[in-house]
Amino acid sequence: MSLLLKNVTKRFKSETVLDDISLAVESGETVVLFGPSGAGKTVLLRLIAGVIEAEAGEIWINGVNMAGVEPEDRGIGMAFQNFALFPHMDAAANISAPLTARRQTKERIAATVGQVAKLLKIDHVLHHKPKELSNGQKQRTALARALAGGPSILLLDDPLRNVDAKLRFEMRLELPRLLKDQNATVIYVTQDYKEAMALGHRIAVMNDHGIQQLGTPEDIYLRPANVEIARLFGDPVINLLEVRPQAGDMGALVELSGNPMPLIGLEAAIGRDCLLGLRPESLQFVAEGTPGAIPVEVETETPLNEKTVTLALTLRGREIMISRPAGSPGPASGKAWLGVDAGAAMVFDRASGTRFIPSQIEVTP
Amino acid sequence: MSDPMLQLEGIDKFYGPLDLGVHAVKNINMTVQKGEIVALLGSSGCGKTSTLRMIAGFEAVSRGKILLAGREVQTLPPVRRNVAMAFEGYSLYPTVSVRDNIAFALKAARLPDAEVASRVKAVSEMLEITDLLDRFPSSISGGQQQRASLARALVREADLHLLDEPMGQLEPQLRTLLRGRIKHYIKERGLTAILVTHDQTEANALADKIAVMEGGELQQYASPAQIKDRPANLFTGTFVGEPPMNVFPARLSLSEGKVLIDLNEGLTLRYDEAAFPPPLRALILSKGDVVIGVRPYAVHRSQEGAQAQVIANQWLGDQSHIAASFAGASIVLVEHDRAALAEGDAICVKIAPADLHVFDAKTGQALSHGQELA
Repeated sequence: MSLLLKNVTKRFKSETVLDDISLAVESGETVVLFGPSGAGKTVLLRLIAGVIEAEAGEIWINGVNMAGVEPEDRGIGMAFQNFALFPHMDAAANISAPLTARRQTKERIAATVGQVAKLLKIDHVLHHKPKELSNGQKQRTALARALAGGPSILLLDDPLRNVDAKLRFEMRLELPRLLKDQNATVIYVTQDYKEAMALGHRIAVMNDHGIQQLGTPEDIYLRPANVEIARLFGDPVINLLEVRPQAGDMGALVELSGNPMPLIGLEAAIGRDCLLGLRPESLQFVAEGTPGAIPVEVETETPLNEKTVTLALTLRGREIMISRPAGSPGPASGKAWLGVDAGAAMVFDRASGTRFIPSQIEVTP
Repeated sequence: MSDPMLQLEGIDKFYGPLDLGVHAVKNINMTVQKGEIVALLGSSGCGKTSTLRMIAGFEAVSRGKILLAGREVQTLPPVRRNVAMAFEGYSLYPTVSVRDNIAFALKAARLPDAEVASRVKAVSEMLEITDLLDRFPSSISGGQQQRASLARALVREADLHLLDEPMGQLEPQLRTLLRGRIKHYIKERGLTAILVTHDQTEANALADKIAVMEGGELQQYASPAQIKDRPANLFTGTFVGEPPMNVFPARLSLSEGKVLIDLNEGLTLRYDEAAFPPPLRALILSKGDVVIGVRPYAVHRSQEGAQAQVIANQWLGDQSHIAASFAGASIVLVEHDRAALAEGDAICVKIAPADLHVFDAKTGQALSHGQELA
């Protein structure tokens, strides 16, 4: 166990910003804190760093309770979205700042800086001042500084937020290997769901001062705890249709444009006001007359990063979005029929937003 | 079919004296047809906003002509150009409600009250601001102001609608839906629109044609599909498309009936020379040093092919982005299923000749796209 938060609560005056947070992060693991601004993500990072103190709860790093341990003695590296580089120092000096403070030898410092800079592909700009660096280089310099001290815990607060789309994409692909090479335990804050899914071994979805769901990207995307989380992950956003499941021969079912659709293992939803969640990629255009197909009227098509997104209206005038790989066939306008992957459908309680968890299906060999 | 609504003829913009000042926009020539949506796309400082402001009349044209609906307008003040605008610095009237802001131009045009009300309702529902209609601009957020401003522009009839970064501050969950709605709204009414954006995703989603700008110059003016399949140069090739196009320095040669593409670290791609028609072969071989490009969706895993080693495999719910070390750099693949690959796995990648873009190493100009000359 590398980082352990036990029932951490933080208040600013009378306002509770973090309410009873518990989280255990394994050594070498990357946990992403994901959520809207104001959810308390940055406050949690600052608590771990020791810059602020919690009203209640404990923070343990590598088996040591951090109560009373100064920030610089916690073995933590940090990088933030605004880079926070010393403007009068060149990149090399910025990177070595934490090492110099620890009075390491010049040779050892130079070797560490060279190594980290090479890893981050900034070895050719080490003698440039921050103002001579591109945003991408500044961001890498800040990251290099965080890594240089060989921290056991790395806190990264939305480090890719201020870099352009191309570099953000490139860094998103490179970062995991870099972090693995460093064997760093990482807490990574972002508001970008793709970044969260790409970088997190696990994702902690934060909202309302707490962790709403903690799980792998697969858990969060395929088995979201509630409708809000389902809406935060995925582009286009999940389709939500108001339904009231009825009892059918095989358990619960809903009618979509006159077609019955069974909801296996979701008897608990029968008779309740629900939202049926259909991911845009779980809908497919099918031929007219296909059993169970839903008739729609196609409004428009918008390309989206190697996908084609179609906006259509159901017979009742409800908007529905369908996404498919770019270049695959589909109608650009007019009448069309949709096949629904019932197995991928999610059902949420409309009042509470909670997802109904399908009961275990017995499989007979 | 040709029915030009806007023509830019030899447009230059200098900040400072003519021919001596900062040359922000360089000899732009382009035509927007009636009913088209055109995106001016580029990073900050590329000249797109200056161009938009010249079309709107907020910025003087240093040289050249702007024809709008057949009239020369470059010397007319903004109010006499019949252009509807939504952009920064053209803010909402602070003393009236959002509803009256949106209705302003309709009332000025003396439309019947019922007509005004129904149009305001339609545009507000589309942009999800119906609950803000009775508020005043100062009491709503920046993103809401942006949507109100967009509604005010889209609700009225005009020869041209100019939209500056229309969706910059929108929450991500709404963005794709609103893009679809806005596109449908514009198309249904046959409006002609120009939007300025730095976001290639937005340009691709909304526009019939994209004008890619860089360094004050128009790099390419074509449909999203054409830019994807036939980028004019390395800049447009790598700027438009996410994930970005893979590019590698290469040297081309011909040997024993094969076209050889030598990449870094001794990696060579081999194609039957028959895959490339003679004029193409002659041209690309005369160049020697080139840059080759291939879109991530056109890189396929296969049983045989060039060796690569997986660096990352990132599943985003509906797409896998895979990066693999390749020719001293990395190559990115997009797959629509969840790929079962782990870091360190060895894979073979294949690039069909039809998906290969070749660019001049010095100028960046495209030489060929697949089996055709550029």
